[in-house]
Amino acid sequence: MNKWEQIQGIYIHIPFCLQKCLYCDFASFPQQSREIMEKYTDNLCQEIQQRALVIPVNPQATIYFGGGTPTVLPMEYITKIVKTLKSTGLWKNPAEATIEANPGTISRESLLAYRKLGFDRISFGIQSLKNEELMAMGRIHSSLEALEAINLAKEAGFLRINADLIYGYPGQTLGSITNSLQTLIEQGIKHLSVYGLVVEDGTPLCQKLNTGKLMLPSEDDSGDMYDFIVKYLPQRGYKRYEISNYAFCGEESLHNMVYWQYLPYVGFGVSACSFNGKMRLTNTNNIVKYLQGKEPIIEELELTTRLEEYLFMGLRTNFGINFSVARKRFNLDIMKIYEKEITECQSKGLLKVDDLQSGMNLTELGMRFGNQVFEKFL
Amino acid sequence: MSQETIRNFSIIAHIDHGKSTLADRLIETTGTLSKREMEEQILDSLDLERERGITIKAQAVRLEYKAKDGNEYMLNLIDTPGHVDFTYEVSRALQACEGALLVIDATQGIEAQTLANVYLAMEHDLAIIPVINKVDLPSADPERVKHEIEEILGIDASEAILCSAKTGIGIDEVLEAIVQRIPAPRGDSSRPLQALVFDSKFDAYKGVVLYVRVINGNIRKGMRIKMMATEKVFEVTEVGCFVPKPVSIEILEEGQVGFLAAGIKNVRDARVGDTVTNNDNPADVPLPGYRKATPMVYCGLYPLDNSDYDNLRDALEKLQLNDASLVFEPETSVALGFGFRCGFLGLLHMDVMKERLEREYNLSLLTTAPNVIYEVFRTNGTVEMVDNPSLFPDPTVIDHVEEPFVNATIIVPKDYVGAVMELSQEKRGEYDNMTYLDETRVMIHYSLPLSEIIYDYFDKLKSCSRGYASLDYELHGYKPSNLVKVDILLNGEPVDALSAIVHKERATYRGRQLVEKLRSLIPRQMFEIPVQAAIGNKVIARETVSAMRKDVLAKCYGGDISRKHKLLEKQKEGKKRMKQVGTVELPQEAFMAILKMDDNK
Repeated sequence: MNKWEQIQGIYIHIPFCLQKCLYCDFASFPQQSREIMEKYTDNLCQEIQQRALVIPVNPQATIYFGGGTPTVLPMEYITKIVKTLKSTGLWKNPAEATIEANPGTISRESLLAYRKLGFDRISFGIQSLKNEELMAMGRIHSSLEALEAINLAKEAGFLRINADLIYGYPGQTLGSITNSLQTLIEQGIKHLSVYGLVVEDGTPLCQKLNTGKLMLPSEDDSGDMYDFIVKYLPQRGYKRYEISNYAFCGEESLHNMVYWQYLPYVGFGVSACSFNGKMRLTNTNNIVKYLQGKEPIIEELELTTRLEEYLFMGLRTNFGINFSVARKRFNLDIMKIYEKEITECQSKGLLKVDDLQSGMNLTELGMRFGNQVFEKFL
Repeated sequence: MSQETIRNFSIIAHIDHGKSTLADRLIETTGTLSKREMEEQILDSLDLERERGITIKAQAVRLEYKAKDGNEYMLNLIDTPGHVDFTYEVSRALQACEGALLVIDATQGIEAQTLANVYLAMEHDLAIIPVINKVDLPSADPERVKHEIEEILGIDASEAILCSAKTGIGIDEVLEAIVQRIPAPRGDSSRPLQALVFDSKFDAYKGVVLYVRVINGNIRKGMRIKMMATEKVFEVTEVGCFVPKPVSIEILEEGQVGFLAAGIKNVRDARVGDTVTNNDNPADVPLPGYRKATPMVYCGLYPLDNSDYDNLRDALEKLQLNDASLVFEPETSVALGFGFRCGFLGLLHMDVMKERLEREYNLSLLTTAPNVIYEVFRTNGTVEMVDNPSLFPDPTVIDHVEEPFVNATIIVPKDYVGAVMELSQEKRGEYDNMTYLDETRVMIHYSLPLSEIIYDYFDKLKSCSRGYASLDYELHGYKPSNLVKVDILLNGEPVDALSAIVHKERATYRGRQLVEKLRSLIPRQMFEIPVQAAIGNKVIARETVSAMRKDVLAKCYGGDISRKHKLLEKQKEGKKRMKQVGTVELPQEAFMAILKMDDNK
């Protein structure tokens, strides 16, 4: 069976945290009572049991618990969700099972428990290893706690650890980014996600910037940070396998690859999305409505929409787009349809087509100016 | 119908003094339209006219009015545009009338444009009825306005009518005055037909519809008419009048105003200002016609999408059917490709046309900065009219250059005289004279280069007088000026559409301002863009648009594909508003940079 005809990833959204970070735009609700969490868990499990899946699930489909902060959910609820996934056959023999964690919300015991449930990968929101920056972001942990958490995870047997980092945040400098990266590399972390800050409307950060209470680094300063990151990490053995993701060989996030390859996935919980290859389901991002049982919004995706998304997602990775896979999947010849666009992007040095004309991917310049390429395919 | 009961009149007014409101009220009061049928300001029939509160095209409406003397009168109201760009159209309308209502805002007094229109009315020997409008407002000062009417215009103000078109005060008096003080037409029904074409309109079904004022004789359906200037002959398919919707009638007689259709396909065959006569019994001589409207302002119009070129030409041709003052011819720009050089009566006219092209014909257009026509005297003795700065000849072959000057009339409260004079001096104006209108207001005359008026004179005049100054101007003639062409280079390549003609003494300063402005207007792109200003081969200013460092969505996961998709589409949409010039993408504003420079910086 073709991999785009099977669900390849399963996502669980835990919309709780201790405190909202200033830049956070995700569906997450801080300081919720145990009752709410319990009710949420029940609804979530019900959703898992009742969702009718129109296509089969790959027994090796990846598992990803994201948030919010999944690790604020009491262990018994996490356990219940995992059990539900297992009993419904969604969690069989996953190629990877990741849980996101805030360094301020874990303990030796909880980490061991996650391992025991079957999680083999942990993704820490580290963001920075400079305390002033962590404060300015509204993070609840210190740099020291972050490093301790990483150590605990290693001790608990997590062999695959990711750290998320932000660059371009107000107050950040090239020096502080360098230090944060260096320290993490010394910890032996094999996967790093380094995101340029995106200021989302309506976040406290956005407001602070608008009122002049905080100031973003200049375009040139964050440009310098970008230049440093994309050069430095590969020198230290991390392959840039996606625009913002770096990993040692074989350490790539399999779950995220499902998204970037535009393969089917299913998501449960507030704001979660599912995609079966033809349709997209989007759950409400309002927790009250979710608890009242609001149905997801269903979108039928037209071929052009799917093709566009396939291209701009696929081009994000260094694997790029394989023409014969695309031909088989969409019954279309990308080289022909987008001949003009491909040639233009090639001439600008943004895109390269391999010698055998079997596929295309972004050049280093193309990764820097990805939107200019993505737009061309819309 | 006897001519004794016909009155043909116009309303002349400065912009915002209430002309359209008064016209609406007259239509309503005479029962031509019921209140329910009234659409606000019915005479402004283009959407754009209504939105901007301006009248662009002349319109004619027939009102039926039972006067106090017991007789039924036919009042023909010929509406006129109130903006300086359209002075020419006002003059046409006035020629079709015997009288005019001079509307003056009781809170503002006489403005520069009022003056110009009154002089036009006087030239045509019209009976002028002063109407002081907005007397209901607390700040109204009718006595002061009366004083101004007598002092400045030399019109007896004792019989000025105090009115409020908004509340209806004085409307009956206005109607009575039209009957009593405006003379009836003096046409002769026994003489051969002579009818003045004072406007025309293209109708997809009827062909060219002529708005006419019959002077002598009459017009009926089926009559074979001849246009005296073009000698073309047509058969009349319809005659009618506006009440205010067009209705067919049997006959248009001497003294009356209405329209005719005669299957005329081409506007050029039936020009505004021409005389219509009976082909079988022609008049000996035509009526005095009009001067042709001369475009004063030129700019390049280019489709953003080159494949729209033919659509743009079609649209321009269609607009020209309704507006003979619009001229255009194809031109090619190295930077912008194929487009048209278009001539307009003024900046408002240009704006209105551009907006109509975009709205009514759904075109995305790029406009180059407007300019005047220069007269270039070459060293070899030839003279050339240059309507496009990029075609300005090399300085070595130029003997001298002349540019159009206008006589400008500025009316302003006396506290701002200093500021106005300073501004006019700075804009290369030559002071002519100054008169005190009363204790508080002053009228100043300047000779100014038209190019300065096009740039930003009017905006600056308004801001230096806190909005109180009014301006009117008329073309006066050409005078020598020391002018040079400033070229703009992007990435070392000249962009012809950005060239500007400026006064030599200010060239360096202007050049520097222009590149600074361009630097701020051109968005960062994937590479660095040097922006240079040059005169001939000499670079006089340079700025750099630094390269964009990155442009990529940092994150994109399963949950937000849809949102990111929309984001990318929006970004792409934004780029469609840009014009690709070489490798550089330029926003529309870049071509207008020369108009948007802040001298105080």
